[in-house]
Amino acid sequence: MGDQIKALWRKTSWAWSPASERESSEAIVKNFWLHWFPAKVARASMDWNYSFWLGTASASLLLILTITGVMLMFFYVPSTERAYGSIKDLEYAVSFGRLLRNQHRWAAEGMVAVVYIHMARVFFTGAYRGTRAINWVVGVVLFLATLFLSFTGYLLPWDQLAFWAITVGTSIAKQAPLVGPTIQFLLLGGNEIGQQTLLRFYVLHVFFLPVLVWVLFAYHMWRVRKDGGLAVIERVRNERVMAPKATPKTKSYSLFGLTPGTSVQVMSSTGLEESDQVFSSPNMSRRIALVFLVVFNLTLLAAIIFNAPLEGLANPSVTPNPAKAPWYFVWLQELVASTTVRMGDFTVSGALLGGILLPGFLLAVLTMWPWLDRSPRSAEGRWLAPERKRQNATFAVATLAIIILIMVGVYLRGPYWRLYWPGQPRPETPRLY
Amino acid sequence: MAEKNESLETKDFAGMVAMSIVFLVLVAVCFWREFSTEWGGYQREFPQLLGHYGKAEDARDFRPGIQQIWIPKIGVTDRCISCHLGYEWSSVLPATIAEPLKPHPMNDWLAKHEFARFGCTPCHGGDGAATTIAGAHQGGTGWDDPMLSRALAAQNGLTMKEMIQMRCNFCHRHDVATPGMEEINLAKQLFKKKKCLVCHIVEGRGGATGPELTYEGDRNPELLNFAHVKGAHTFFNWNVEHLTLASVVSPDTQMPDFNLQPQESRALTLLLLSWRRLTYPPEYIPDPQVAAAAMQPSPTPTATATPTATPVAH
Repeated sequence: MGDQIKALWRKTSWAWSPASERESSEAIVKNFWLHWFPAKVARASMDWNYSFWLGTASASLLLILTITGVMLMFFYVPSTERAYGSIKDLEYAVSFGRLLRNQHRWAAEGMVAVVYIHMARVFFTGAYRGTRAINWVVGVVLFLATLFLSFTGYLLPWDQLAFWAITVGTSIAKQAPLVGPTIQFLLLGGNEIGQQTLLRFYVLHVFFLPVLVWVLFAYHMWRVRKDGGLAVIERVRNERVMAPKATPKTKSYSLFGLTPGTSVQVMSSTGLEESDQVFSSPNMSRRIALVFLVVFNLTLLAAIIFNAPLEGLANPSVTPNPAKAPWYFVWLQELVASTTVRMGDFTVSGALLGGILLPGFLLAVLTMWPWLDRSPRSAEGRWLAPERKRQNATFAVATLAIIILIMVGVYLRGPYWRLYWPGQPRPETPRLY
Repeated sequence: MAEKNESLETKDFAGMVAMSIVFLVLVAVCFWREFSTEWGGYQREFPQLLGHYGKAEDARDFRPGIQQIWIPKIGVTDRCISCHLGYEWSSVLPATIAEPLKPHPMNDWLAKHEFARFGCTPCHGGDGAATTIAGAHQGGTGWDDPMLSRALAAQNGLTMKEMIQMRCNFCHRHDVATPGMEEINLAKQLFKKKKCLVCHIVEGRGGATGPELTYEGDRNPELLNFAHVKGAHTFFNWNVEHLTLASVVSPDTQMPDFNLQPQESRALTLLLLSWRRLTYPPEYIPDPQVAAAAMQPSPTPTATATPTATPVAH
């Protein structure tokens, strides 16, 4: 019965079916949508447990963000007078407007997290060696662009949360040596946050940064192919070289001293066997569709359950207590606060150390890591290879420290940036009436 | 090989089917939420109500959907009437109908403050853009201008009518006295009687001993010291207690204790909180002379004879 239905489906939906492997490959290469993929991909790179498909998830989030973002652009007005009102309209009067904004918001925050976890995966599998080092650097730039995209989007609702988070963020940028004040002036379009800032952040958010991310994403993908696919292939290749396949014993080759074994090893250019590979369509295209569907469902579910925050209209004369940066920058704010030293009335601001020098150092080390890594190439494409134990531990500890700082900043910091344990009563901020 | 491939196909295909079902369910939930609005129920009820009170034709013409009063020049987008549908039907619907369909009481000041010119929030406060009960009445997180409800007024020892006078004074700020604004009128008298201008600057006049009060209503309540405030930690209550006994609330102050009655300090607080940076267009600002004239006791013939008392049509 099942086979009959399948046969009927093929008969009614396909005018042609490939007669050979070659025809199958050409069917992929000659198709506009499918030619992005190689005709065949390594079976190992299809494994859920190797990549967790985090790159595909990031790209899915980028696509969701682009689509929902373009839809939001039909309603949003980048003016200090209308911006807040247009968000209120989206929330209350536009059909599915709140859902749209929620999904955009959660996909954006999710993308920051997923891109970072994707990077962590690449690190823990040592997948940045050799020619892949360039793609690692491209990835770091993509991560920074994702952060900046999220940060520029944060200001657009023009509510208290947005206004003061951007105040905190741009004040940290101001502390950079020499160029700091200029960077802040360029970002704000003046000396304080106003209409010019909103317009600049808007143009960056809806044009420059998305274009940058899409172009870099295309390059990132192209490089993955040119570098020979996922690094897990290196592992498979290493295994293949080490374990020569059993061949029927023939005498002649060894007799002539042509080869040390009993037979000639014929290897493909990729070092992979036929059995190591699967056709990318339908296997990979279907998998990508599946990952996209999972990611879309998750963001939609989040959009249904949780509302994107929206506070009162931005008010430059009333600072919320405490004013916090967006969560992915709150660890910097936490560093700034904890490296600020007070002696009596004399204060040494931690903004330079905590806000610029330390994150700058971390970023530099992260970017240069492929050239600092001295582990053997046999560790490539393997999760938590023992040869890279110390590197992996360092990365894990740094990540954990950042997560702890974020948690402290988001959950434990109360009024006047004091620490409050969960459940500990916080001083009530006075209301109007 | 074929065997392995088969398992890959079957597993992913099963995943696709499962995720597609989840997707369809989620989309159904989205549609259900979009169409099960709080205002939807009231809008189904309202035409029946109109029909019941003999307005079958109006009931037939009723078109459901979000309704709003939109007045761009004062920044009003009031969707309150999506639920408060009976607001302008006081001639037809009895006042006993439950909220939100209850008609707005036909007060004497309503004739001069038409719905189409003022909307709802300029008097009542709240978030006019919202179309949910909680969103419109309380506002969201950090929304610091809640609707002046009866409950909120009672918390501050006032009636709703008294509390709303604070918002009347946004436009009536320069009236010496205004009919119907007893609390604010009392406060304005006290302001003169207690000679507040000796120490405080208001609109460029007064002494510089105390802080300027021109925009007192816009002050950030977090910058106030609540350590000696006995009651609620609100901007309103800080002012009430401070006006009553300044030396207790602010030990370092030079302000004398005026020993005001509770009603007097509440009235003065309403006045202070009404002084905000607001940009109502000139045509919304009443002529202070006209309001003062209307307050003159009518039996005295001299009052009506003065030329300034001639009502000016606006």
